Amino acid sequence: MKRRAFITGKAMICSLGDSLKEIVDAVRHKRIRLDRVPFTLASLPYSKPYYLIERNVTDRLHNRSEAYFYEVLFSAVSRAFLDAGLNKTEIKDMNVFFGSTSMDVPVFEGNHRKSSSTVSGTFLKSSYGYGKIAGAIVERFGIGGNCYSFATACTSSANALLYAAAMIEEGLIERALVVGYDLFNNLGFYGFEALKSIAETDYRPFDRTRDGLILGEACGAVILEGKRRKAGDFMHLGGANLCDTYSVTSHDEEGFAVAETMNRALRQAGILPGDICAVKAHATGTENNDRTECAAMRVTFGCEMPPVTCLKPFIGHTVGACGVNELILFTESVKTGFVPSTPGFREVDDKLNLTPLLENMEADEGIFMLNYFGFGGNCTTLIISNKGDRE
Amino acid sequence: MSEMYIHSASSFIGAENTEANFLKEKLSGYTEENFRRVNRFILLTLLGARQCIHNHALDFDTAIYLTTEHGNLGETASVLDEIYTAGSLPKPFGFINTMSNTAAFYLARNLGVRGRNIMVSSQHLSFERGLELMQVDFALGATGNALIGGVDEALLSRTALEKQTNRVFKMVNGSGWLYVKPVKDGACGAISEIRSFSDGHSCIKWLRERGRSNIDVVSFGALIDDDEVAAMKEILPSVAEFDYLCDYGYSGSATACGVSLFIMLFHGKTLLHISRDQRGHFAVIEVERY
Repeated sequence: MKRRAFITGKAMICSLGDSLKEIVDAVRHKRIRLDRVPFTLASLPYSKPYYLIERNVTDRLHNRSEAYFYEVLFSAVSRAFLDAGLNKTEIKDMNVFFGSTSMDVPVFEGNHRKSSSTVSGTFLKSSYGYGKIAGAIVERFGIGGNCYSFATACTSSANALLYAAAMIEEGLIERALVVGYDLFNNLGFYGFEALKSIAETDYRPFDRTRDGLILGEACGAVILEGKRRKAGDFMHLGGANLCDTYSVTSHDEEGFAVAETMNRALRQAGILPGDICAVKAHATGTENNDRTECAAMRVTFGCEMPPVTCLKPFIGHTVGACGVNELILFTESVKTGFVPSTPGFREVDDKLNLTPLLENMEADEGIFMLNYFGFGGNCTTLIISNKGDRE
Repeated sequence: MSEMYIHSASSFIGAENTEANFLKEKLSGYTEENFRRVNRFILLTLLGARQCIHNHALDFDTAIYLTTEHGNLGETASVLDEIYTAGSLPKPFGFINTMSNTAAFYLARNLGVRGRNIMVSSQHLSFERGLELMQVDFALGATGNALIGGVDEALLSRTALEKQTNRVFKMVNGSGWLYVKPVKDGACGAISEIRSFSDGHSCIKWLRERGRSNIDVVSFGALIDDDEVAAMKEILPSVAEFDYLCDYGYSGSATACGVSLFIMLFHGKTLLHISRDQRGHFAVIEVERY
């Protein structure tokens, strides 16, 4: 029998809070919390929405320190260990898979505020590289395993999940900590505004009136192990990653490369499209992403399209962190009996002809497809299941 | 371990102040594509990889594994300056290129391949971790052929490195690549071992048990100190040392460059490359050159 990777522990911090119960409750009742952030540095006379983490008054957005960055990270990681019920030996034995778009840019931006140097000067003088954050995790928790930091834009932590699961399935490692973390940073906020990609007021993926994405910050941590710990623990059934070379910023609108990624993931999982109970779409709410993704789902599923949910309207587009954080949001919702609906959807786009779930769908067991896409043509699909007969 | 045969290797090493235009000119010898809106990191990636696959026809499904310590250092700094110093929104392509995986995208597009496209980093062991990911994909059958490389711009500051080693290196831009297939036919070498150790003692114990059989050349990563080198050389007496760091200089991707240089320079030999990271984890790569 094929060895599987099970999700045995998880924790996340996002705009909806830091307790899974509180977060799932907000998702069930379509409660969201959206802030607005001005473009002060560029002296622009307007602000844009952002899903910000709210922890305490002293850590307001422009007063954040390096300590805050690591406090959020270590809090999520330690609660994931607790959720899995790991002992010290098991934690020491852990391997770390980290995925992020911004990596430690928020730290440099924070340190810059306290230094006379330019932010680029601070960055160039003290950059310890993309591996720094994973290095800080192993140091803080006494972890003895290897570190892998993925930087593939918005698929970063989805790829971290893909490889952590593959290494467990191949018997190369026993367990893995997979972290997806992106904190607010001006580089990303101003950058996406420069691309004219940020929506004006609210998030409406697949809607005819959609006008872009809304960024969010989140830190999610999951534990993957070769053995199920609790009934209902999800397992990784399969996955795939491919590169769509159509454009550095967008995918081929015919959706063939994205569909090929979905099909390879299905084949690797040993299942057919009809076995999928629901799809968690990447659904950034941008014109191109939604058109491409819709086309790809039609190529893959034909007229037997499974129910589709979009999770970004709850916590924002958490860029490289979305792989882990949307996995947590989705699996925790299913564990409590439902696939989340998509808040904000009002009007069908005739060109897409797709209506995501408008009401929560009852479900406590099944096989699900999770899709993630990113700049640089990166496409990743994960297939997960909590059906006992799939072990 | 899945069989991983090296079919081609290349290393581009440029001076600390290598200009983008110089890289573009060199690159034009390998491809007719005119690259606009690309930076030094992307050009280093393209140049190293194009040199590597120069005369090889690639399968559509070829995977790309780009390993790096620092990614796109220069352009990230420029975009931060645009926002913080100039007080403006960044230029769109400048911002997009701060996501270093765009280098792997431009490479895939230029080569016409659509396989896996992964960028991974791990302090001082990035190339080794990339090889492990490639090994898993080979074992799972997720990929057939692969191009794996390490790319880093020269560090503008030595501060971070100097905190971790007493050795002084010449800083260079580095881009080292291997073209790897699971078939031996036509190969010029093989990766016969990738192994990690949680400390130096375990590594030395493994070296002792393994003995010096088949090993002709040994090389060491930047953080291996003099005592560790001495202890390992004692186990591997009369094995030649390839000190690529001294001969060619340091970049975050020095290991990738060192291994690919070995393939280019040492015909009929076998290399044992030993690295460590700042927390004392060791990794060994064994490479045969036919």
